[in-house]
Formats: sequence, structure tokens, C-alpha cells
Amino acid sequence: MSAFHGFPDLPGPDEVPLCKLNEVYCCGNTQYGNISTFTNTTKGHPVINVTRDIHHHRTTDENISMYIDVEDNLLKKITSVWYKQGFLEALGVAADPSVNRESQVLALAASYVLKVANVFTAFRYFLQPHLKDIGPKIVANYSRTRNWGHCPIKCIAWHPHTTKMAVATVDDNVRIYCSEVSFVSTLKCKAQGHVSSLSWRPFSASELAVGCEQGVIVWTADPNSMFTKPSSSNAVVLKRPGHSPVTDVSWSPNGDLLISCSGADTSMMVWDVSMETAVPLRRVAGGGIVFARWSFDTSKVFAATSSIIFRVWDTKRWQPERWCARGQRVVAACWGPKDLLLFAAKGEPMIYALTNTGLMSGSQTSKALPVLDVTKVELSSGEAVGGPILDMCWDPTGRYLALLFEESPLVAVFCTTHLMMQLKITPCCFICGIEAEVPSTMAFQQNFAEGACLTIAWSSGRVQHFPIIYTDGY
Amino acid sequence: MDTKSEIFPQRLIIAVLWNIGLQTFLAIVLVFVIQIDLLHPVTWVTSTLNDIFGWKMALNIVLLGLVSFFQAYVYGSYYIIPLPKYFTRFSMFLNMFSVQNVMFSILYALSGYFTMGLYSSLAKSNYNILKKKCVHYDAQCLVEQSLFLQFGGMWMGLYYFLNIHIFGTTMLMFPHIYQDKFQQIKLAINNILSMGFKNSVIPVVYYCLFYYLWGNKPRSVVSEVYSLYLEDPPLDNLLNLTSSGIWIGLWFYTSLFFVSVYTMRTIFNIILTEPMKFPIESKNSLMLHNALALRTEFNGYLGAQDLRIMSMTDPSRRQIIFTLSQPGGHPRNWNNLLEQCLNIINGFSKELDAVNTDGKPAETENPKLRSNGNMSPTTAFNYSGKIRNMAASPKFQEIRDQNRNKIEDSLSNMVKNEINNLIQKLCQKPGFSYLFGELTDTKLKYLLMQSQPVMWTCEGLACIAAASLQEDKFGVVQNDLPIVISTLINLKQNLDKLTKPGLVPRRHILNDTLAIKMKTALISSVKRSIYKIAITFSKYIHEIPLEPDIQIALQPFLMCKEA
Repeated sequence: MSAFHGFPDLPGPDEVPLCKLNEVYCCGNTQYGNISTFTNTTKGHPVINVTRDIHHHRTTDENISMYIDVEDNLLKKITSVWYKQGFLEALGVAADPSVNRESQVLALAASYVLKVANVFTAFRYFLQPHLKDIGPKIVANYSRTRNWGHCPIKCIAWHPHTTKMAVATVDDNVRIYCSEVSFVSTLKCKAQGHVSSLSWRPFSASELAVGCEQGVIVWTADPNSMFTKPSSSNAVVLKRPGHSPVTDVSWSPNGDLLISCSGADTSMMVWDVSMETAVPLRRVAGGGIVFARWSFDTSKVFAATSSIIFRVWDTKRWQPERWCARGQRVVAACWGPKDLLLFAAKGEPMIYALTNTGLMSGSQTSKALPVLDVTKVELSSGEAVGGPILDMCWDPTGRYLALLFEESPLVAVFCTTHLMMQLKITPCCFICGIEAEVPSTMAFQQNFAEGACLTIAWSSGRVQHFPIIYTDGY
Repeated sequence: MDTKSEIFPQRLIIAVLWNIGLQTFLAIVLVFVIQIDLLHPVTWVTSTLNDIFGWKMALNIVLLGLVSFFQAYVYGSYYIIPLPKYFTRFSMFLNMFSVQNVMFSILYALSGYFTMGLYSSLAKSNYNILKKKCVHYDAQCLVEQSLFLQFGGMWMGLYYFLNIHIFGTTMLMFPHIYQDKFQQIKLAINNILSMGFKNSVIPVVYYCLFYYLWGNKPRSVVSEVYSLYLEDPPLDNLLNLTSSGIWIGLWFYTSLFFVSVYTMRTIFNIILTEPMKFPIESKNSLMLHNALALRTEFNGYLGAQDLRIMSMTDPSRRQIIFTLSQPGGHPRNWNNLLEQCLNIINGFSKELDAVNTDGKPAETENPKLRSNGNMSPTTAFNYSGKIRNMAASPKFQEIRDQNRNKIEDSLSNMVKNEINNLIQKLCQKPGFSYLFGELTDTKLKYLLMQSQPVMWTCEGLACIAAASLQEDKFGVVQNDLPIVISTLINLKQNLDKLTKPGLVPRRHILNDTLAIKMKTALISSVKRSIYKIAITFSKYIHEIPLEPDIQIALQPFLMCKEA
């Protein structure tokens, strides 16, 4: 029997799901429907709609014609390219006959040096083929956001203790939306390009780690300050040679350590942010580390590599336990209560659970068991759901599991109950967008007392809060 | 209690053993690489083996052992005492020429000389002996290259000593996560090799310059002592020096020397900073609170580190803290621990306050804490156990102090005042104030450099408090929550004063960035600790009896508004 048997029917074409109240699936009209007719729990939540016009001007092809081309002298040109883009690019400029018309000798010399350098790069790529992709391509490849390069919202993150959300938009600015204050701070600096991930520091009100192409930027956005644009003096840039582009950042639940991963780097960095020092963690085999997840009690860290290998690190001794996924790399994983881990491999409609089965038998062995099969099916309304998993979120209490699929415009939410060491997964509801919207990314609110609140960023730039409320008496 | 002082020497010895092992390995690798002969692999291997088991290698190991024991001694003497306090430029300058430093510099020069000589002999270079037979006439001639190398060795030893111990900070940096020794060495080896070869360039250049300028003096002295002739072109000529190619050799051996000393340093760091598990309750070994009581000493660091690790990851030891002592039913473990933690935090707060108020009299420092005798953290622990010692009560002390002051208030005080005034006036003269004026930022820097155990203590205390909500069955910790909270808030308020303009350490002091980083780390960890308690107890915070001003200070933390 399909896992999608028993879900409530999707609403009609003019309606969208708004919330779920004690098992009642509430939908409203696309235009006039309002969530406040059902519940007040998300009344104070920030209303977010990232439309094209709030984007800041980027130097795209359209507005670049506004600037007048200035003819610098050659030396200045080369030094500026060297400063901004590096030595090899500067050599390229010097060797380019269309730019360098003045000094033939320099051009010749530069072209020879370039040739030698190219031989070395070719050799390096031969040894480490995964480095061939350039930054944004790597991020796009490993991102759990649908259509990462082009959708208006690149990633979202809820603050662990308050109703505050960070949203990274396509122009690589990070906006912070709060429940109480109406103004939105925009975090932006020159180094912040190709934002891949966001993470709020636990036990801190204002610190946000942003993973981007160059490294990790840790912002301190003072909630009391009325400046809507914190300057780069509020940011610390954490960089390591070879550790770029950063594909994931995550704070430890204690708020003391930050792990950053790069799909192009085989070591995972554990940062002490205030001292700006990092300890690389590396083991043989596996390729680049794509993402890492901390367990709730900080005792374990899950690290997925770009190959089928994944590791579960024990944080006491920092020693890994090596695992292999069956088909392809692990695409999404989340920890739940009691050190239960769910993960899904790329291109496979199956969710596995990694549990400590040791308690029963007395030995400390863990096993990966398939717990949910989400093979693609067609619903009676004609929508396709299921198939390979794109992203997966588990709410902090471990009661609801939300899934994004690669080939479906629906978000599927399951109820999960953990009874007698057994994980039971039952259907909850589907969430669909307005018209042709597809979900880009999603996150559960961390401090929602009334139940669980799933926040979904749709491809149109709309951000929906979908509360699932239950009262204990029910 | 006899183990108290043993941890550090034990670790040093372990480090020395590790060090000898690794240095031997390095020497073997060197021999192996230098004798590479791909065409005759058998002779290559046999000659390498011969060399490895030869007397040279044995001598090498013995000497390396001596050098690493000496290093251990140096490290021991630098780490076991707290950082020297020098608050004026003059004392800083004087301190450079202390007997210890002079002795160490000589020892370092010797160790550089020996290490270089050993490596060059292992590499089978021709420049090991000073004398050779002259080609043209019948006498002994000087091999200036070997002289150049031997002096170079001393130079490098001195250079390293100056660079690391005099101008650098000899602080033990604890890594934020601890991996196995092997893993750490594996990770570090790459870095050590590249650093060694890179960092040796500059001293070689300096040395070549030095030799160019003053090289003839040692040469003449040596040739006179041994009555040698000079046959080859002298090396204190840039052209001869470059063409002889000896600088390449010097660079190579210097790199090896640097690799070797960096390896030693890394090994010492790795082994000394290994976390240690202290028991909470024990009859004969050093307990956690005893270790904490040693504050700035090495064991104090280990104790604070262990407190933090224990509070975060070790539920079974936490459980021992929350238990009551069997006859009596007192939370003795917790009380001992809390007392030491508060001592550390309050002591630091007080010193910080002294820096903030710029050395103003310490009596007026914290009126806040005095106002409520029952609650205040400073006085609460003057009474040990449940019985109040009336003689030690603060009121009584004050009366006694006043009486004593009256008697002494006489001529001697006037003279003292006069002298002080004179010194003050003298200090305001530009030249004097530069040399003898007290540097507030140095004081602050010195204080911040010692703040690592304070951070650990704050975090550990907060974690234990947070864990107590679930694990503390007898409410042992909850009783003392107000003191914990007010102590942390007090420290935070003192730290806040540092971020005010004017007191931020000035840029031009050495290793300033480290102090700034330590400051941010400290502020961050104190705030996180307060957040940890505030967020964990947010539902019950109104039931905790707190002073009104502490409550006000806690409010932004409850609302998640404190940046």
C-alpha cells in the first residue's frame, strides 16, 4: 500500500491549505482566504513576500550599460584584477592581446607562465576531479533548495528561541524578519556571494552564520539597533584556503561550535568563532563533505559526503563511524529526539532510520532500516506526489515530518510517533501552492508552543506559515 | 593530595617521550630520502639501514633526547608560572634580560648548534669539520663553510627563542575540540613542514646579512685559536657567498631545525592540552574543585576545561554533583564546586573592575553586592556551612579596620604621600611616562589572556544549572541559582564597560588581536551562559528570588533582545 494512502484530499482549484487544527484540515480561498479565521497562533508572524522589486540592484546585463567604461592603464588594470580575482586571472589579463596592446614582452611572458600554470591545474583536476566545478555550480549541485540559482528565496532559517527568521534571497542579501518589529534588517557585504545556508546561533539573540562562496560570514545583528543595514563591521568572515564554496553551516545546539562544510573540501571545519580558529576533521575516502547535522544533545554529528559514504561523528572523542548508502549520496537527513536519525539518498524514494538498537541486545550496534517508502503515485485529483526526495524536515518535538520531492509540487507532511523504540509514520496532510507555485525550501519554526509550524518558501517568493496545532485534550 | 603537582611533570615526560620518537622518525626519513638511489635500490636500503643502526644515529637520538628534555624544562618553566606582570615599558624591557632568559638563550643557541650539526652529519655533508689539509702548502686550513653553518645553527636557535618566547606569547592554547594524538599530529605535520621551509627564509637572509657585516670577526678568532690558515675566498663577500651555494645548505638545515622545533612545540601543545577527567568525589586523588581552586595554574586550566566538558557531556558525573552527602544530607559536592566557580568568576570580575575604574580604590567597587548581605555572592561564602562566624562578619571587620587605620594615620603616611606625589609628577614628564607610565591596556591584556578558565567555568556552571532542571532531584542547585545568576550578570556588566570607547586596548601593542579575540570570546561565552540559564528557566524565572537590579538586567535575556 502506498504511503500516501489515507491523506486528506487536496482542496479544489481555487483553494489552498492554510492550517491543520486538531486533525481538521483547513483550506481557504486563494485570494480571500485568511489564516486568522482559523487560528491566531501565527498572527504575530512576519509576513514575507520576496518579490522582484525589493531586490537590490545587482550588476546584471541590464543595468551595466549605465556605467561608463573607464580606460585604465595596463598596470592598474592588472593589479586591480590581481587584487580582486587572483594571480591567474591577472596573468590572463596580461596575456590577452586585446587588453594588453602596449607591452608585447609582458604578454608573451604571461602567456608562457599561464601555459605552465595550466599544466599544473590540469594535473590537479586529474587528481581531484571534484574541484573542476566552479563555486556556484557546486552549491547548486548540492543544495537542497529547488532551483537554487534562480528561485527568489535561496534558504530560510528560524531562530531557535524567538519568532525571528532569516531569509536569503536571490540577490544574496539576507533579510531578518521579526515578529514584533516591523522593520527588516538587510545583511549584505561584498564577500557575501552565492549564499548556500543560514544558521542562527543558539543561546544568542543576534548571531547568524551565513555560508557563502568565500567562506562563512558570522553576522551580529543587534536586535535593539534601529539600523536596517548593519555594516560589515558587524560581520566576521571565516575563511580557510581550499574550503570554498561553503555548502552548509550549522551551530552546535550549545552554541559553542560551528561546523562548516564545503562540497569541494574533504575536511569539515569545526570553528571556534570568536577566536577565529578552525580544526579540520578529515578521514580517508568520501569526497567533499556536503552537509552536517548536530544531534539535539550535541553528542553526535551526521556528515554527508558527495559520495555514498556518510559518517556519524561522536563528539566526545571526535571519531567517526562510517556508513555507506546503497545507491547515491545522502541528500537530506534530520535528527529527532532520542538520537534517532532519518536520512534519504539521492534519487531514491525511501527514508531510512538509523537507530541505536543496542539497548535491547546489550551491544552498541546501530542499524539503518527503511521506514517509509514514498514511491511516486498519482492522486485522484491528478497531482503526482512522491518520488525522489529533495529535502526533509522534522519538527523539533519529533511529531511531524515534512518532505519535499524532486518531481512533485506538493509538500507532504507525515505524523511520526516514537513508541517502544518503534517509529510509526502516519499520514497528516499535503500542502500545495497557488496555481503553478512549487515549494523551494522549508523549515519548521523552533519555538512554536502550540504544535508545529512549517514555513514554506514558494517559487513565487511567497512565504507561507502552515501551523499544525494540536491540544493535548484532543 | 600528592597528585596535585604531578600532572604537569608527568605530561611533560610523556611529551618528551613522544617527541623523541617523532624526532627519530624524522631523522630516519631524512636519511632515507637523502640516500635515494633509484638505480640501486638494494644498496640504497642497506646503506640506509646501516646508517640508521649506526653510532651516529644513536648519538643523534641521545642528543635529541637531551634537547627535548631541555625544551620540556623551558616549557615547564614558562607555563607553570602565570604570565609575568609587567605594566610599564621599562619593566617589560628589563624582563627581557632576566637571568632565566639569558640562560635559555644560551641553551637555545647550543641546541640550535647541535641540531644543525646533527642534521648536516646525517645528510653526509662535507661541512662538519672546521679543519682540512691545505692544498697549496703544508698546514691546516679553515673550512669556512662549516664555520658559517655552525654559527648559523646558533643564530637560528637564538632567533627562534627571541621570536617565540620573547616577542611571542608563551600561552598554552587549548584547542576547542580534542581529537586523538595521532589524528592531531597527522593534521599538523603538513602545516609543520610547509611552515618550517617557509619561515626559515627570513632568518637565513638576516644571517647572511649579519655574516656579510661581521663575519670576519668570528673567522679571525677561530682561525687564531686553532691556528688555521684561510685558503678559500672569504664568505663575507656577497659574491663568494652566493657562488659557494652554502646558503642553500643553510636554508635546508635551518628548515630541518625549524621543523624539529615546531614538531616539539606541537607535541607539547597536544599532550599538555589533553583534557583530564577529575573525580567529583574521591579520597586520594585531586578532585575537581581542588583543581579549580588552583585558578591560573596549569591544573586550574585542566579543571575548568573538565568542568565544562563534564557539564555538557557527562550525565553520570553530573549526577554525583546533585547527590547529597550520605551522613548529613548536605550537598557537599555542589557546594565545594560552586564555591570555587564563584571564586574564579568573582575574582576575575573584581580585577576587571579594578582595570575599569583605572586603579581607583577597591573599596567602592561593588556597592551593588554589598547592599544585600544575605544574597551577595562575595559574602555568602564567608560563612562556611550553616554556622555564622560572627567574628568574620563584614560589619565587625569594618570596625576593626577603622580602628587600625586611625593608629597608623601619622607621619609615615605623610611621607608616603609626598613620595607618591613626586613620582606622579615625574611620571607626567614625557620621556618618563613613556618608559615608566603604567599601561592600562597591558593590564587589561594580561587579564584577558588569563580569561580562558573563566569562560569554561561560566559555561560549565550554566550547563550544570540548566541540566539541574531535569536531573537534580533534591533541588540542590536551585537553591543557589540566584547567586549563580547574579554573579554572571555582574561579570557581564563589568565586561560591558570594556566595550565603551577609550578603554579598548590600543592597536600598537604586540599580539593585540589575540587580546581582542579573547575579549569577544569571553563576552560571547558569558552571554551564552546567561542565555542558557534564562532560556532554560524562562517559565520559572519569577519564582527565583533575585534582586531587582539583577532582574532588570536579566529581562533582555528573557526576551531575546540582548545582542
